[in-house]
Amino acid sequence: MATTETNILNRLYFVAGCMFVFALAVVFKLCSIQFVHGEKYRAMAQKRAVKYFDIPANRGNIYSADGSLLAMSIPKYDIAIDAVTSSEKNFKKYIKPLCDSLATFTGKPSNSFELKIKKARETEDQYLALLRNLSYSEFIRVRNFPLFRLGAVRGGFVYNQTTKREHPMGGIAERSIGYERIDENNYATRVGIDGAFGKDYLRGKNGKRLKQKIGKGEWKPLRDANEIEAKDGYDIYTTIDVNIQDIAHHSLLGQLEKYEADHGCVVVMDVKTGEIKAISNLGRNREGKYYERLNYAVGESHEPGSTFKVMAMMAALEDKVIDTSTVVDTKNGSKRFYGRTIYDSGAGHGKISAAKALEVSSNIGLATIIDDNYKDNPEKFLKRLRQWRLNDTLGVSIIGEGIPDIPHPGASNWSRNALPSISYGYNMELTPLQTLAFYNAIANNGQLIKPRFLRAVKEFDRDIEVFEKEVLVDKICSEQTLSKIKDILKNIVVRGTGKKLYSDTFSMAGKTGTAWTDYADIEAWRKDKKYVSSFAGYFPADNPKYSCIVVIHKPSTKVGFYGADVSGPVFKRIAQKIYTDTPLIDEIQTVEFENAQVVEDFEKFNSVSNTYKTIMPDLVGMPAMDAIAFLENMDVNIKVKLNGSGRIKSQSVSENIKLKPNQTIILEAS
Amino acid sequence: MIASAHSADKKVFEISRLSNEAKELRSAFMDGRSKLMRLKMESTIEKKVVEKGLEISEVPPKKIRIKRQE
Repeated sequence: MATTETNILNRLYFVAGCMFVFALAVVFKLCSIQFVHGEKYRAMAQKRAVKYFDIPANRGNIYSADGSLLAMSIPKYDIAIDAVTSSEKNFKKYIKPLCDSLATFTGKPSNSFELKIKKARETEDQYLALLRNLSYSEFIRVRNFPLFRLGAVRGGFVYNQTTKREHPMGGIAERSIGYERIDENNYATRVGIDGAFGKDYLRGKNGKRLKQKIGKGEWKPLRDANEIEAKDGYDIYTTIDVNIQDIAHHSLLGQLEKYEADHGCVVVMDVKTGEIKAISNLGRNREGKYYERLNYAVGESHEPGSTFKVMAMMAALEDKVIDTSTVVDTKNGSKRFYGRTIYDSGAGHGKISAAKALEVSSNIGLATIIDDNYKDNPEKFLKRLRQWRLNDTLGVSIIGEGIPDIPHPGASNWSRNALPSISYGYNMELTPLQTLAFYNAIANNGQLIKPRFLRAVKEFDRDIEVFEKEVLVDKICSEQTLSKIKDILKNIVVRGTGKKLYSDTFSMAGKTGTAWTDYADIEAWRKDKKYVSSFAGYFPADNPKYSCIVVIHKPSTKVGFYGADVSGPVFKRIAQKIYTDTPLIDEIQTVEFENAQVVEDFEKFNSVSNTYKTIMPDLVGMPAMDAIAFLENMDVNIKVKLNGSGRIKSQSVSENIKLKPNQTIILEAS
Repeated sequence: MIASAHSADKKVFEISRLSNEAKELRSAFMDGRSKLMRLKMESTIEKKVVEKGLEISEVPPKKIRIKRQE
């Protein structure tokens, strides 16, 4: 075909036509995407690139009274290995050193790691969990192991960061500091202070934020009206004193181990304010090791035994049905009440005073006092106990406080024997904390205070809420009753059941308790005797500062079981520790001591040093010490040589001579 | 417009890096604090100094406070 103009034009028209049709098609498609399917695509794009994110609020910290951290949320790391991603060469080269490092880190054999990792590589496992719950410094260490050092892609180092609640004191007071755990079914476990105050203070409020995807796995926040800022939880300041807690924990632990007991608790309370200074609860696991198992002090109601005799005695004293000198016949160690025999430990005490009955902790003595005086009107006795709030929970903040049980006529556990039983702490239940609160009231001149664990809730330095002491009963009894019972409590340690605990360097007062437990099957009990040993009291005996209770359950009877042997030493150790930690302060008035010679020397020194700066003064008669100090403080740099040590007799440069730098002056002293 | 979007992105990366660092430091702090708390507890110190023949005193320290007469 010849190349004519028409020909070229035709071709041009064709190409232009094609392009036009193509352009039309593009416009058509655009319109179709924009308007016909627009809704669908827009929604899809939104979903892919924009997402709501929860901004987690930081949970508040828990502090001790002196500001030490008791609980804090920190990141923890789980380490795994992607056994597939590393190259054959790297894998071969580093697998052995890696496993060796892991072995030194964990203390497990190296070849078990090697076997596991090699197997994972064969089965193409991309996530083989190796280590859990590492702290940051451990994480850094592991990250630098051979192979892991190469990173995620070349070394297969996989880690997962989670936020965990951590207690820097370790197992100490763990149960009382507590935690809050919410499982996937929204079922919450709330333990201790952390649990009790989680919802109100610690938790904070999660925020929400709309974010857009921008690559590298990162999302950038989009401005949006729905945005909610996260609000961090408040910090909680508890009343726990780290030092006392430390002593309490370790002395309880030592005693539990010595007596191979099942469990035990100790609580130390500040007499005046009701602040709990220390609370320790230790239970035995299968291997015979002790750990903070349950909050026994708060949660466990049990028959208190002899520590309750104090309450019974006080009721009788307050009702003036007896006096401390009233004689009571405790027979020779056994006495029948309404068809049931009550025993005293030992061979009996005969006829003794009521005060003595409590000092030697005579079951018969107390049962006789209470039964003789209240059997016709038990309600009168029970009314006293109610007035002291012994039948009621204290309402402490930790969840799960044990409910006390004191029977009354008409109740299923009431019988004629109930009254004498109650008088020595049986047929009724109290928690250690409830008993302690009562002893604290004795120490606090009759004012019953609610034990408390919290001082303040803070946001940084700002107080959100401050907790004050809460008085439950202003005066539980008369001054006379108080001073009588205080004397008895003091004498128990001096000459009664607690005399082994007596120390002549510091004073304490309290009551021992040794109660039977798990005796429903009396035959089984006789074969394997189980006791609860306790000691409740306060120290120092005069003007008490702290009250304290120690309860130890089921000590091994082969080692011992009396309250004074098992629980008493824990109490004593705490009392002693606090005593030796508190300095004794002697205040003396200044004795103004005037010495004419000293005053004269002082004045001379002052006047000389103020007038002579560059010329030699007359130093004769001045103490050598003063003379040297003076010369060295001159404005001219000179050297001094001293012979002797008393007062200056002569000087090598005479008075009023101008001194030259680096000149040596020789002083002769007596 | 595009430039500022990019600079915003850059800041997001920076923030994420810094917040990771903050987390790590917080963790390191807590780690150190834990160790310190355990070390400074009296019972730990008691165990350590027992080898050196030191024991806890049975009697409290004495302070003498002088009251100045005016």
